[in-house]
Amino acid sequence: MLKDQIEKHLLEVQKPSRYIGGEVGSIIKDKSKVELRFAFCFPDAYDIGMSHLGMKILYSLTNERENYWCERCFAPSEDFEAIMRENNIPLYALESLDPIKDFDFIGFTMQYELSYTNVLNMLDLAGIPIFAKDRTQELTQIVIAGGPCVCNPEPLADFFDIFVLGEGEEVNLELMDLYHEMKKNGASRDDYLRKAAQIEGVYVPKFYSFVYKDDGTIDHMEVSEGAPEIIRKRIIRDLDKVYYPENFVVPFTEIVQDRVSVEVLRGCIRGCRFCQAGFIYRPFREKHTDTICKEVKCLCENTGYDEVSLASLSTSDHSEIDPMLTKLLDYTVSERINLSLPSLRVDNFSESLLEKIKKVRKSGLTFAAEGGTQRLRDVINKNVSEEEIMNTCRIAFEGGYSSVKLYFMMGLPTETDEDIVGIAELANRIIDLFYSIENRPKGKGVQISISCATFVPKPFTPFQFEPQDTREMIEHKQELLLESVKTKKIKVSYHNPDVSQLEVILAKGDRRLCKAIYTAWKKGCKFDSWEEYFHFDRWFEAFRECGIDTAFYANRRFEYDEILPWDHLDYLVSKEFLIRENKTAHQSKTTPNCRLRCSGCGVNKKVGRECF
Amino acid sequence: MIRVRATFEKCGRAKYISHLDLNRCMLRTFRRSRLPIWYTEGFNPHPYYSFALALSLGFESSCEILDFNLNEDIPFDEIRDRLNAVMPEGMRIVKVAEQKQKITAITEAEYSFSLVSDDIDGIYEDIGRMLALPEILIEKKTKKGLKMVDIKPDINIKSCEKGDSSVNVVMRLPAGTQTNLNPTLFVESLKKFSNIRFEAEKIRRTGIFCADNEIFS
Repeated sequence: MLKDQIEKHLLEVQKPSRYIGGEVGSIIKDKSKVELRFAFCFPDAYDIGMSHLGMKILYSLTNERENYWCERCFAPSEDFEAIMRENNIPLYALESLDPIKDFDFIGFTMQYELSYTNVLNMLDLAGIPIFAKDRTQELTQIVIAGGPCVCNPEPLADFFDIFVLGEGEEVNLELMDLYHEMKKNGASRDDYLRKAAQIEGVYVPKFYSFVYKDDGTIDHMEVSEGAPEIIRKRIIRDLDKVYYPENFVVPFTEIVQDRVSVEVLRGCIRGCRFCQAGFIYRPFREKHTDTICKEVKCLCENTGYDEVSLASLSTSDHSEIDPMLTKLLDYTVSERINLSLPSLRVDNFSESLLEKIKKVRKSGLTFAAEGGTQRLRDVINKNVSEEEIMNTCRIAFEGGYSSVKLYFMMGLPTETDEDIVGIAELANRIIDLFYSIENRPKGKGVQISISCATFVPKPFTPFQFEPQDTREMIEHKQELLLESVKTKKIKVSYHNPDVSQLEVILAKGDRRLCKAIYTAWKKGCKFDSWEEYFHFDRWFEAFRECGIDTAFYANRRFEYDEILPWDHLDYLVSKEFLIRENKTAHQSKTTPNCRLRCSGCGVNKKVGRECF
Repeated sequence: MIRVRATFEKCGRAKYISHLDLNRCMLRTFRRSRLPIWYTEGFNPHPYYSFALALSLGFESSCEILDFNLNEDIPFDEIRDRLNAVMPEGMRIVKVAEQKQKITAITEAEYSFSLVSDDIDGIYEDIGRMLALPEILIEKKTKKGLKMVDIKPDINIKSCEKGDSSVNVVMRLPAGTQTNLNPTLFVESLKKFSNIRFEAEKIRRTGIFCADNEIFS
């Protein structure tokens, strides 16, 4: 048995409890009664993957079916991977400790571009052919992926049999049910894939091929085997009725998000033009306060967690936020549970909301201002005025806070040096504000942390057409920002521009990138999101060897009438809308949020109902 | 408020739960059991519970001690059952009782382990030869740096028998709030002393004792 082999080496590695299962809440089934096995793989370390809410939902949902067994699988850290390779221990799932190569489905959730090489590494560790074309014709080992990154899955197209677009609660089971049925009848892999491609939200990349123009852009796409020309993402219509787990697997080792997490809404009304999540998760849908409270209570009782967080893109946009927090705090305070609220917006941060948060929060406040000047914030449609930022900081300072963290992006479309200097100036004005307040926290200095990410244009946003700044441009702006900050009360940190460049290439890439990803992995690239494992030189070599011009993807403006690698995927927002928004951005004009006025993104028409 | 002492097993996969993780794990277990655990009264109230001795990662145990207070008087058997209903795999409360002795009364802990080797006779002999040395020196990390310490006086072998593929040892070592000696130090010393290859397996704490050989309870 694999268990003995694993245990023989487990004490040689860091945090061994990540590799042996047995956690409270993990689901064990009688193998002899199970007819379909699904390995839910997160292409990163346990500590990260176990924090992912989508996995918790789909894990429990699948296991509700008595004859289906969904298990968890993560990327082993370097130390354990070495032991696995040395001792021929294949990648296994944590519930049964069985090798995942024998499973019916191997499903990956693609949350960020920098996890792509980990998928290849995990398939290799599992002993599953890395390229879909090399897999057996037998109906087994179907390698599928979902998650936000599959809105442009082309750079991964050679490695997967199926991509699932949109929300998985319904379509995952439809795929499994079809498999279960066809397996009984002795169907082949291709038989299954042909039928699966007819399910809404299911994209089988091998039925699609691309012809390119001489300039490298796409000339046209060819579809075979009767697969649909356009693949539309799936959505759940009613969040109060959709399945939500009553229990989570509670890990022994500390994970990144070590708490109960309850989703309060999906989608976002804001339409910030850089934000992919704000567009691909439309339409905006809320859960009722009662449902949220019920789920919080149930999960806290079953898991024993004493901390709960509300998950969404913008929690304060929930229409019942005040009564919801009042009701939740009644419960959490009496049960000595901490309630944390990530994703708060600057503009509707009221005093009463702060009072509520203060009861439960000890840490500092974080605001995403994104742009240093009002002009630039208008370009990106971050509908936040300086007055609102100042007002929020004033409330926070008067409420006893003395440190504020501000998020900005660098390299945004139309950005000039003035916008960069504007970041430092904004921070200076916040410092002045602090000292102008009479009842500011006494005996403490003010601390402003500026965190600067490099802008990465993403598919399905109005900025999908935009080029990314070159490394030289970003370095110039970083230096300029450092020069503009003249006080120790402001701390500046920023991202490595090479990482952001790789992100944009993988985000906006096409099918020709598959071999570069493979080559980079062969050169030892994995865990690219971990600073200590990120080797841009190896990636650079891989791109060069594969004849990939990185500037073609990263630093080129994609034309409005160009066929984009993801144009055949329908995420409900129309391309016309994205073009319109792009033009509006270049006029430095804003678009009001969806509640104030419908901006005509096209989602309501396709869903067949008004959003509000 | 009642003060109680639970004795619990930590076996199987639970042996990979580190001491730090065990703390968090017990907190969640208490919460799942919905037992009225007593919270400290202070600026930052937290549930009060404490483990008598830390257990090394990878060791099993049949006798771990956990002290805690409850706000209500609940029968010991009910406390045990409510905790066992929500304990992680490999962990089981064997007994819940009152706290007889103070934690500071602990003097020794007993361990059993197997030394697995192709040459059992050789290992068996080498154990005898090593114990016959005038002193067994090991390097011990202290605050002032490395220090040589003689562990021979601390080793109290209870049994040492040849099995099918291993030599099975039971020994007592100093334990408690003052000094602790980890059985792996004995194993490492033997590895240095002996030329025979062997591995220590199934290390298990089997008893916690006070002065005069009394079982801690």
